[in-house]
Amino acid sequence: MIRKPARASLALAASAALLISACSGGNSASNPSDSADDGDAGAGAGGGTLVVDTAFSLETGDPGRNYVPTGSIVLHAMYETLLTFDGDDESTPVPALATMEANDAATEFTFTLTGDRTFSDGSPIDADDVVFSLERLAGMESSKANFLMAGIEVTKVDDTTVVLTTTEPSLQVPAIVTNPALSILNSELVEANGGTTDDTDAAEDFLGSTSAGSGPYVLDQLDLTSQVVLVPNPDYDGEKPAAYDRIVVRNVTEPATQLTNLRGGDSQLALDLSGDQVAGLGSDLDVNSVPGAQSIFLLLNQDAGVSGTLANPAFAEAVRYALDYDALLELAGDGSVEASGVIPPMFLGALEEGVTQDLDRSAAALAESGYQGETISLRFPNDNPVGGVDFTTLGERVQSQLQAAGIQVSLAPGPFASEIDPYVDGTGAFSMWYWGPDFADSSSFLPFGPGEKVGLRAGWTADAAPDVAALVAAAKTATDPVEREAAFTDYATAMQESGAFVPLLVPARHFASSGVDGVAYNSNWTVDLTDLSPAE
Amino acid sequence: MTRVDTAAAARTERSALLRYVARRLITSIVLMLGVTLVVFTLTTLVPGDPLTAALGEGASQNPATVAAYTERFGLDRPLPERYLLYLSALFQGDLGTSIRTTRPVAEELSRALPATAEIALCAIVLSVAVAVVLGTLAAYRRDRATDQVVRVVSLVGLSVPTFWMAILVYQLFFLRLGWAPGSGRLSPALNPPPRITGLFTIDFVLDGDPVGFFDAAAHLVLPVLVLSLFTIGVLTRFVRTSVLEVLSSDYVRAARAKGLSEPRVITSYLLRGASLPILTMTGIAFGGLLSGTVLVEAIFAWPGLGTYAYQAAINLDLPAVMGVGLAVGLVYLLINLVVDLLYGILDPRVRLG
Repeated sequence: MIRKPARASLALAASAALLISACSGGNSASNPSDSADDGDAGAGAGGGTLVVDTAFSLETGDPGRNYVPTGSIVLHAMYETLLTFDGDDESTPVPALATMEANDAATEFTFTLTGDRTFSDGSPIDADDVVFSLERLAGMESSKANFLMAGIEVTKVDDTTVVLTTTEPSLQVPAIVTNPALSILNSELVEANGGTTDDTDAAEDFLGSTSAGSGPYVLDQLDLTSQVVLVPNPDYDGEKPAAYDRIVVRNVTEPATQLTNLRGGDSQLALDLSGDQVAGLGSDLDVNSVPGAQSIFLLLNQDAGVSGTLANPAFAEAVRYALDYDALLELAGDGSVEASGVIPPMFLGALEEGVTQDLDRSAAALAESGYQGETISLRFPNDNPVGGVDFTTLGERVQSQLQAAGIQVSLAPGPFASEIDPYVDGTGAFSMWYWGPDFADSSSFLPFGPGEKVGLRAGWTADAAPDVAALVAAAKTATDPVEREAAFTDYATAMQESGAFVPLLVPARHFASSGVDGVAYNSNWTVDLTDLSPAE
Repeated sequence: MTRVDTAAAARTERSALLRYVARRLITSIVLMLGVTLVVFTLTTLVPGDPLTAALGEGASQNPATVAAYTERFGLDRPLPERYLLYLSALFQGDLGTSIRTTRPVAEELSRALPATAEIALCAIVLSVAVAVVLGTLAAYRRDRATDQVVRVVSLVGLSVPTFWMAILVYQLFFLRLGWAPGSGRLSPALNPPPRITGLFTIDFVLDGDPVGFFDAAAHLVLPVLVLSLFTIGVLTRFVRTSVLEVLSSDYVRAARAKGLSEPRVITSYLLRGASLPILTMTGIAFGGLLSGTVLVEAIFAWPGLGTYAYQAAINLDLPAVMGVGLAVGLVYLLINLVVDLLYGILDPRVRLG
């Protein structure tokens, strides 16, 4: 029990504390960017604060360990790669820290560092930094991004030249090196803080508090659950200086809240809105809706041990031509497109046209397939919408369209975490999934081929479709860019005509912004923060 | 009674209280061990491969990465061995490492729990204060207009979905009226305070930062309001019932017969008599607030325990899920323990029984 004099003392003490507070430091309304260690960072940017709302998939501040979207968004602003993409153009990598030349066999890629570029601590970037960064990724087997360096050897030629070598022709290497996981780190700084080129590496904590790159921004704060704060790199000497004094990327999981924040002026950019949400926005907000890089598809297992008598191409064909793709597209909103094959529209070899519903053809194929009217179960993850497309709603529409074509379907939704197992193990007979590229290159879609990673998940072996398997091999080993495009087009065409997969949609990515220029979608880093600037 | 008898009686009462406290502490420890077993068993029985969920498609096809993760998290060991390892680490304060972020779960919880505790504490204080006033008022004005109004208010608080209320409140007070700040714990222009308690308002005061304090306090208002509405609904009905019971008791009638003023009767007799059931319900409500804020945290982008639990669950991050389960279990046990101890202090019959 507190006696009256004590209560009075307590009240006095609290008042005094606040009064003292009012006369001291800390946050100041006129000095919002009062970070602890940004030094003179921020001087000269002059763009104020940019607030970006997105649902976090953020696990680390270490580029070499990152393979999730939000991580790529923030790391791409702090670190640079040897090559990059220009805005939303993912057709051809362009020079960033280096220029590149490939040999005719597409097995040697020579990178030459451009200019006298420096890291954020002022130290120069040289070939040792490149070798260390790439060997670190290759050596850290516990890194989720480790597979990107599979089969790639790194060799230093001189202080400004590095060669990446592969045993097989690999024209995807230029696209791979644009991935933020292959960012070039300040090797001296990282090594001094526990960095190594194998799994003993202990630099992750350091890189979670201090950036060691050469990008226009440096790390000010990183909280994996709430926000990442970036401030300008005072020693940046590249071509895209920071436009903002401070960028705050916040974890806002609810799209409805993202939209409210944007409308209320609490943020300037929302990255996870659905088609329905952006459709109702007025002219006061800018909307950017473009097809994303992820396709939603049906998988029809060709393994008789899994699908029984329905493990045949004819049943897959019956499903393929039974669907009304335009009606499915209605669920995805503006900017989404029908999947014209397994390769999304922004990539080399993508087809112009998708499949058109043909109920007669479907009926003929169904009769040939041996289907006896049994109910087949459609499995899908129901807790992970892609581009705002809800899988349950899409599944219901697929179910009704197939039923109209005489195919009885029951829906079997489940959480992603439990549904991914039968999908990966190849034990699911009929399922609906999505696929995004591992890196921004058409070779990321070759796994759908027979005998390949995703093909085998559908019980589709190379022996079952040798012609298509040959097209996969041709696309993999093409050494000439023109031949390569033709090979991918042939592969996509063959995949559209037959096989275990029925691509449905490429949902759009919808960004809404207020007073921001330069907003564009790129599958590598979602949105390039270094391209953003206050609207003119 | 002699002075010796009085001292002996006091000693007896003290030792009874100590025995009671010791009993409750031992029971809590045993219960906590039970919680660890249940949480561990349940999380390992969840269908799905945590590695596939955590690594994603690309990395889960890389044998080297899968092997490294399997070894690091001991996923190839028999379940009993994993449980014993988990338990031995737990006794050293180690809740394991998150598969998703590879950071210590204890460290991540130490960030998430204070964020939720801050809104839960404010919500429970506000809820108890409002519910005691409304419940007492309703009991005093039983079956009159005031009682009916309070019952309607309580019913609304109970029946309106919290998620919908959060959206509504946020739209109204932030977007339409501009009276409240945006989402999160702090405005984007401000930096968080140095971490001392993890409660921003307290830490800003300790740091001597009034701008930060008022900003953090302003960000608390809407989530606290939404969380309080439901809790007020529950507690008001409970207070009303408890007060009605006490109102008809002999000692209240005796107090009035002695000529005590009504405010004195309320504070010294009525509320004290009704305090035990109210205390029980407050404890349960507080536990619910700490562990059931997922939806409100999602709407207000509040990086608390609910958000952390949801992320852990959808990513099948077993160590993190177990950490959350233990944290929630511990919170409930502590609340029960505190409530039981307060019972023992407030009502001698409890400890002597």
